[in-house]
Amino acid sequence: MAIAGTAIFFDGLTSARRVVVVELASDGVVVRDAEDRDMLARWPYDQLDHLAAPEGVLRLGRAGAKTTARLEVRDAVLAQAIDDASVPVDRSKVPGHAGRLKVVAWSIVAMASLVLGAVYGVPALAGKIAPLVPLGVERWLGEAVDRQARTLLDKGGSDRPFECGSGQGETEGRAALGRLIGKLEAAAGLPIRLEAKVVRRADPNAVALPGGRIYVFQGLIEKSARADELAGVLAHEIGHVAHRDGTRAILQSAGISFLFGMLLGDFVGGGAVVIGARAVLRSSYSRDVESAADRYGVELMERAGGDPRALGTVLTRLAGAIHPGADILSDHPDTQTRVDVINTLAKPQAPSQPLLEPSEWQALKRICAGR
Amino acid sequence: MSAATPLDTPSDEPAPVPDGGRFAAPEKPFWRLLIRGAMFLAATLGIYRFWLATDVRRFLWSHTEIAGDGLEYIGTARELLLGFLIAVALLVPVNVMFFLAAFSRGLLGQVSGALALAVLALFGQFAVYRARRYRLTRTLYRGLRFHQTGSGWRYAVCALFWWAVIGVTLGLAYPFAQASLERFKMRNTYYGDLQGHFVGSGLRLFLRGVLFWAVVVVPFLLGMMFAIGEVDWSALADALRRGGDDVAGRVEGANAGAAVSVAVIGVTWSIIAAALLYPAFQSMVLRWWVSGLRFGTLTVTSRLGTGAVYALYLRFTWIALLCGAVIGIAAAIGFALTAIFDTVFGTGAVTQLLATAVAIGSYVAVALAYSTIYQATVRLRLWKACVGSLEFSGLEALGRVKASGAVSSALGEGLADALNVGGI
Repeated sequence: MAIAGTAIFFDGLTSARRVVVVELASDGVVVRDAEDRDMLARWPYDQLDHLAAPEGVLRLGRAGAKTTARLEVRDAVLAQAIDDASVPVDRSKVPGHAGRLKVVAWSIVAMASLVLGAVYGVPALAGKIAPLVPLGVERWLGEAVDRQARTLLDKGGSDRPFECGSGQGETEGRAALGRLIGKLEAAAGLPIRLEAKVVRRADPNAVALPGGRIYVFQGLIEKSARADELAGVLAHEIGHVAHRDGTRAILQSAGISFLFGMLLGDFVGGGAVVIGARAVLRSSYSRDVESAADRYGVELMERAGGDPRALGTVLTRLAGAIHPGADILSDHPDTQTRVDVINTLAKPQAPSQPLLEPSEWQALKRICAGR
Repeated sequence: MSAATPLDTPSDEPAPVPDGGRFAAPEKPFWRLLIRGAMFLAATLGIYRFWLATDVRRFLWSHTEIAGDGLEYIGTARELLLGFLIAVALLVPVNVMFFLAAFSRGLLGQVSGALALAVLALFGQFAVYRARRYRLTRTLYRGLRFHQTGSGWRYAVCALFWWAVIGVTLGLAYPFAQASLERFKMRNTYYGDLQGHFVGSGLRLFLRGVLFWAVVVVPFLLGMMFAIGEVDWSALADALRRGGDDVAGRVEGANAGAAVSVAVIGVTWSIIAAALLYPAFQSMVLRWWVSGLRFGTLTVTSRLGTGAVYALYLRFTWIALLCGAVIGIAAAIGFALTAIFDTVFGTGAVTQLLATAVAIGSYVAVALAYSTIYQATVRLRLWKACVGSLEFSGLEALGRVKASGAVSSALGEGLADALNVGGI
């Protein structure tokens, strides 16, 4: 005689709670009403589904069934007997099994592919798309970025206007800067018109925005010893414009935002991972872009007839003034490496004729001066 | 412990059917589940959350007994993952639109930020409603599932309207909003073919809660009003605009000093009062909410004790402090090791990358640790206290229910996840 015991049965059609007798037949469990012995269900052993239940309760369903009929066994002996009889029961839904490790392993693979996509895929894609963006769109992007850039750069705190060049003694200087840019622009032959502005900031730097606008910081003019040094930096920035790096950076940042912001997102501490990954990725993209702009700058200076090594000279001088930060977070490559590359690229016998007359250079130096 | 209780031993049915709720779960397996889940979450950068959420629900549901029979959660992690992926795909055009709008000039650019918030809030409330539907259709009781009807968009519009009213009335409309939204939810909620409804009165909640409002919100408002009235705004704006080294002095001249100190006192009071009164407020709202739930002629009441809620928060605070001490010691050791590492290997790029990874990793570990402690203490105990406090009458209404309603997709859950408005 097969083992039998009492249990509780819900037929999945009504909420009626029935006390039943469960018999273990040869091919499956047979569920009968405890009183009138009517057969309520007959579930084959290989279709028994072990379901989540508290300790001491064996909750069974029939795998693949349309209704949600349930058999709840609290009799430990009977539960053990059913468990033994239904060997191939699907326990994959019960937590704590090898299935979970598989999920974790696959998730790690997915994350690795996401990271690879972010490191190699996003910049490659952005590099392909950026040249396809129409110039009108780029100018429009440039205007939007310009507004943000100005609020970032203009810290206020000065009674003088942020943008220099409107003063009485500055007209000649502006003309000189215009001539310098004109020479470089003619040599570069870009489809975008360049527009350089000098702004009152003490750090020696220059910024190129999408759409051809270049902000030259006063600190850079101050620390440049020759017109060609300033021109070298400008040529580097024109490289960003020619390579459409501003547009590319916007596309890249949208790409990373999508990959990391949307797909990772919602778990505790995830925000830190996203911010960290973005910072590291952005600077890694940026280092490649800077090297390309350096190469372009050297070529442009040669074409314009200036000193292609001047960029290296000014970089070396400025490197002493800048505190070395974290390399992986810095957006430019190591200065010595840059200078070495610049000197290797520059043709050995490049004829060096200053791009501006000394008087013009003196006038240019007076822009923003006298503060 | 559960094996020793009479309900779990084989007994001669029918035993007298208990007419309350019971939550008899051992806590150790729950801790184990959460700790393992936290480790997997960190290893998979969050993808494991679908499996963890499913495990947690399965645990809570299956240990929850209502009138002698347990709930069962039949959702799967795969459904949640699929719902999330669909939601991400659906949100792509929305995000692209906002990205473009942020770059456009003029009116469109200016309103794009506000519009983005409003649309995402609408999506968020829609997601909340649809996620509730998913959870209900994956909840089984006596072999029958719950389900939910009603339009998610309609709910989203109502919810946004009420949240706007709450904002305008400085929180006073909260009870009425809760009552109205709960009525909407419950009237669309079914157990099989048994329709639910909600009888909790907004006015009653208002009368019970207005004292909390007076103690927490009013000092904050008074402080702010005093500050706004006292400060010479044009002088302050001028002082801030001009910047420079003597900002503090000129800010002082704008009579901001006294105003700021009053505002700070007001805000401090409000924060402390809110923290101290929150458990009392939460238990009051829970009692009100549970006691308003109805299914047909079935009525529910709750005698959730305020003291019990305070006790569980105190326990959380105590464990969190202990954990904080451990983290502090670990951080000190970590700093010491970093210093040694730096002097030995120098500060090369690899060291920096390693240091950044360690810093982010530690932050994630600490955040996950606190989240785990919160879930294993506050959430579990609150669930337990709440279920244990349930009392039912009219249970015969549950005896004749027929199956009804189909399963729904997990899109709502996915949206809620993608928009960070996830509930349980």
